[in-house]
Amino acid sequence: MKKILLISLFSGTILVAEPDHEGMHGHSHEGHLHETMVDGKNLNVSAERFDKFMEELTEVNIAIVSVKGMVCDFCARGISKTFLKDKDVEKIDVDLDNGKVLIAFSKSKEIVYAEIEKKILSNGQNMSDLQILEI
Amino acid sequence: MGIIKMIILGLFIVFNIEARPISYSGGTTLMFKSDNVSNSVYLHYSPTYKYSIGIEKVKNKFYDNNKNYLRLTYLLNRKNTFTSQRNLYFQSGVMPNNTENIFYGVHGDWETRKLFIGFGIKDIQSKYGMDYKDEYLQLGFAPYVGDYNDLHTWIMLKTKKNTLTNKASTYPELKFFKGNALMKFGYGANTNWDLHFMYRF
Repeated sequence: MKKILLISLFSGTILVAEPDHEGMHGHSHEGHLHETMVDGKNLNVSAERFDKFMEELTEVNIAIVSVKGMVCDFCARGISKTFLKDKDVEKIDVDLDNGKVLIAFSKSKEIVYAEIEKKILSNGQNMSDLQILEI
Repeated sequence: MGIIKMIILGLFIVFNIEARPISYSGGTTLMFKSDNVSNSVYLHYSPTYKYSIGIEKVKNKFYDNNKNYLRLTYLLNRKNTFTSQRNLYFQSGVMPNNTENIFYGVHGDWETRKLFIGFGIKDIQSKYGMDYKDEYLQLGFAPYVGDYNDLHTWIMLKTKKNTLTNKASTYPELKFFKGNALMKFGYGANTNWDLHFMYRF
């Protein structure tokens, strides 16, 4: 009985968690994108914004970067410029309201925390978190 | 050579030696400023987000002279949070062909998406005793919060004073920026126009 209960709980967890992990695109709700990741972190990305960002994008990995100090458009310009120099970056969006930068990388690109952190710092801001969505 | 001049020249040498590879692509900025004291054109380049080096041509309306400065601005302190950024900068300039003509000072700001506070103090020294000090305080708010790539607008109030006129002047300013361009217009009865245009490449 215990085993059945544990298996049921385990299966339930996977069933609940998997849609979050695999298919972020098209799973947005009013207000915010699927609020919680498998690891329990809050994405806090505008659903409408995310859907618009994903238009015409397929087979990409999305880096959602939380940035401190990104309080004005003029100050955030360098972030776009820096990342768009990378040929593996297909699209970038700056969400000033939520302090997030959305970057679409080609599938072949390995997303490295330290590399993104360095690029954000080169613009004078600090990265506080990075989440990766596989689309 | 005075201690301050030596420090400024020293900073130029130190920072140029320590220049790191450029990873920030938006590092070149062209500025034009005009107020009751001077007109200036300033081009600077930022090898890193920590400092910029540049050249500035200044026409002083009060003394009716022209000066070309080699400039250095260094970020002394920055505090980033999710809702704000605070900065403190050291600024300096020296005429390469006459190192007795220098200026130095500090300026700082604290900014959220809706509020702005800024200040600056600058000491301008000249070989012929045409020295003066310049200081300002600025407060501003954004009437709306724009998204990235939108036109952003700030309504500001600036108080400034210099030792040339010894009069403080307070006046409103409007600041607009969109993309890589920024424009600021201020007007005071005593000081007339205070203009600032900036483009970042």
